[in-house]
Amino acid sequence: MAAGLEQLPFRARIWRRRAVIVSLRVARLVRTGISRFFPALRYIVQSLHRRWRRSLQFRTVLTTLLLAVTSFAVVGAYLSNQIANNLFQERLTQAESETRYNVKQVQDTFDGAQVTDQSSVITLVYDTLNAVEGRGSVIQRRYVFEAMPQQTKPRNRWVESRASDQLTVSVIPPDLRKAVQESGKDQYWASTVIPVGTEDRPGIAVGNKVTFNGTVYELYLIYDLNTAQQTLDEIQSVLWAGGAVLVLMIGAIAWYVTRNVVSPVSHAAVVSEKLAAGQLQERMVVKGEDEVARLGASFNHMAASLQEQITQLATLSQMQQRFVSDVSHELRTPLTTVRMAAEVLFDARHDFDPVNKRSAELLYNQVERFQSLLSDLLEISRFDAGVAMLDAEPEDILQVIAHVIDGAAPVAAEYGSELILRAPAGGIVVEMDSRRIDRILRNLILNAVEHGEGKPVTITVAANQTAVGVAVRDHGIGMTPTEAARVFDRFWRADPARARTTGGSGLGLSIAMEDTKLHNGWLQAWGNKGSGANFRLTVPLRQGEEIDRSPVQLEPEDIVLPGVREDRNILLLGPGTSGQPDEAGTFRGEVPPSSKAAVHVPPKETS
Amino acid sequence: MKARILVVDDDEALAEMIGIVLRNDGFEPVFCADGGQALDVFRSSKPDLVLLDLMLPGIDGIEVCRQIRSESDVPIVMLTAKSDTSDVVRGLESGADDYVPKPFKPAELVARVRARLRPGDQKAPETLRIADVTIDVAGHTVNRGNERISLTPLEFDLLVALARKPWQVFTRELLLEQVWGYRHAADTRLVNVHVQRLRSKIERDPEAPEVVLTVRGVGYKAGS
Repeated sequence: MAAGLEQLPFRARIWRRRAVIVSLRVARLVRTGISRFFPALRYIVQSLHRRWRRSLQFRTVLTTLLLAVTSFAVVGAYLSNQIANNLFQERLTQAESETRYNVKQVQDTFDGAQVTDQSSVITLVYDTLNAVEGRGSVIQRRYVFEAMPQQTKPRNRWVESRASDQLTVSVIPPDLRKAVQESGKDQYWASTVIPVGTEDRPGIAVGNKVTFNGTVYELYLIYDLNTAQQTLDEIQSVLWAGGAVLVLMIGAIAWYVTRNVVSPVSHAAVVSEKLAAGQLQERMVVKGEDEVARLGASFNHMAASLQEQITQLATLSQMQQRFVSDVSHELRTPLTTVRMAAEVLFDARHDFDPVNKRSAELLYNQVERFQSLLSDLLEISRFDAGVAMLDAEPEDILQVIAHVIDGAAPVAAEYGSELILRAPAGGIVVEMDSRRIDRILRNLILNAVEHGEGKPVTITVAANQTAVGVAVRDHGIGMTPTEAARVFDRFWRADPARARTTGGSGLGLSIAMEDTKLHNGWLQAWGNKGSGANFRLTVPLRQGEEIDRSPVQLEPEDIVLPGVREDRNILLLGPGTSGQPDEAGTFRGEVPPSSKAAVHVPPKETS
Repeated sequence: MKARILVVDDDEALAEMIGIVLRNDGFEPVFCADGGQALDVFRSSKPDLVLLDLMLPGIDGIEVCRQIRSESDVPIVMLTAKSDTSDVVRGLESGADDYVPKPFKPAELVARVRARLRPGDQKAPETLRIADVTIDVAGHTVNRGNERISLTPLEFDLLVALARKPWQVFTRELLLEQVWGYRHAADTRLVNVHVQRLRSKIERDPEAPEVVLTVRGVGYKAGS
């Protein structure tokens, strides 16, 4: 048990020296490196970090290398420790038995000596001790011969101490001396360092006592461990080299294996990026029949069916577009002729007899209706084909509204409704397709007039940071929440039994909804049976921006709070009331609708 | 004297109907059913105005428009069955002054025709300036220095409308009313396209206009 502990001082000293040298080098490197290479170092660290994040292969190889190095360090340390122990133990056993034998030889020689004069004694002792060193050119063991201190000096004691070349008693560890001195005839050992030539070598000192002429001497035989140390060093360097080679090989294997697995995946990533970018003909390279090949094959299959479907859709869309365009042209030309003829007849109806006159009127009106139905249908099919384009330009929405109100005024007068505009002074510039906004508002206003039962129709305009809102409010028959939810459906009628009076196509609000979607806006309806309806259009001020909330309220304030509000710029349009200021002001922003009657059509669901 | 109007349309029924309406309103219609012959008929009949269908057999309406425009400033009004923006814009860019989308009312057609045929209402001798451009209203000429700039009557009217009130910003609707004679419901793309065409002739750098300026969100005004 003492062996392991006893050999530590020597090895620890060597390690300590190595550690000092390495730490000095590292410190110097760090000092010069930080000042000179810090940016470069940071760049390297960053790029490594980036690779770590982005490359599965890099990560796998690095992890494998780290794990391999760790396991080799553990195994190597264990192996080298085991070998060192065995070597030492073997040498120690040998040293102990040799010492026992030699000490006995010396003691025997001393005991049998018949010499009395000083020179003979000295010669005898020296010869005996020199014989311990062994024959031949190689010194097998060294010795230190020392009279035990504190004993009475006999008369013929001529030899005090003696040691092999270069040795003194100081190479013997004090603990060993103490153990030898205090025991009887037992043998002890300890590790030590001996000077040989110019170098220090590890060694084992085995000590015992011999008696000569009544004087007790300590005799230490010292064995050189240099060959064992050299063997150990060689084994360790072989372990190091082998470990390094193995780690490199494992790294290379990991790199190769992960490359084989990862490269198809990254190939797939590149190909799918290209696919996503629209290069539909892009395919993966498929080799073999393994999982990777199956991945490639199914990927290609997916890409092929995707391409087929997209091409098919594109073809369908083109066909649809061409069809719409053709129908448009083919129908419109004869319709124009019919319409012109009908109008010529209509203009001359006063010259006809009553039957022909009424026929001319019917023809004229129904051709009108047919035409508006046709153009609405064509418009809807253009939306469905996805060929409707937004032709957005910054324009003042108040001008568009004024224009629409101008156009709707005659119809409103016919129904006896007045059109009231509540708008802020100045202009509200909106990036919009004014043709479409015009159509949406015309639809909303005419719809309100049609269902307004002759009561006033209020158009409220307001803007906030992101959006402009236009609310068209009528006080007519109104509608239930369920009806309000369906009001944008195609050809939907609130009351199928009720005849259409204005001959609308039933597509007006659907088209308005499509136009709104094209602007990324909201079109919402609120209704209450008996208290009228409110339609709200909200459009972002700039295309591509999100609407956070509408500047006007969907649920009319006058339902909840009929009261005096602050006045702003108010314009009245309608029969007999133009130019008068209104008691009511504009709405002051969004209040969450409390009534269940309010129906929101959020943009997420509609677009 | 009756104004002569060339109707280029391959649909015989429609052409005849247009003829009836035009004759009713005191015009003299001339017909051509084939785009390929349109230019010859145009040269021989010397019309005061051309009504041109966009879709024609042989050469299409846009090409016919370009050919006529290359040798004459006579007003051209397109008849379009498509209201697709790209077609209308392409037609206007090829030199048409105005367009009437099918199906149209007779009154609408006649109004368009009359608006384009408006006589040069006895202009008083008047010289206007915008930037470095001089406009002789009576002489119907536009010069930059000694260089003569050739404009169609419509482009000239547009420029004069802007130049007469250099302090005013014209909305597209106002220009439609003053230059094209529209009262209601009109397509402001007409204005956009013609302003672009005017700029390409009159500006030194159409990308950085000095004569016809855009007032963002409102319309156009004359440069100073």
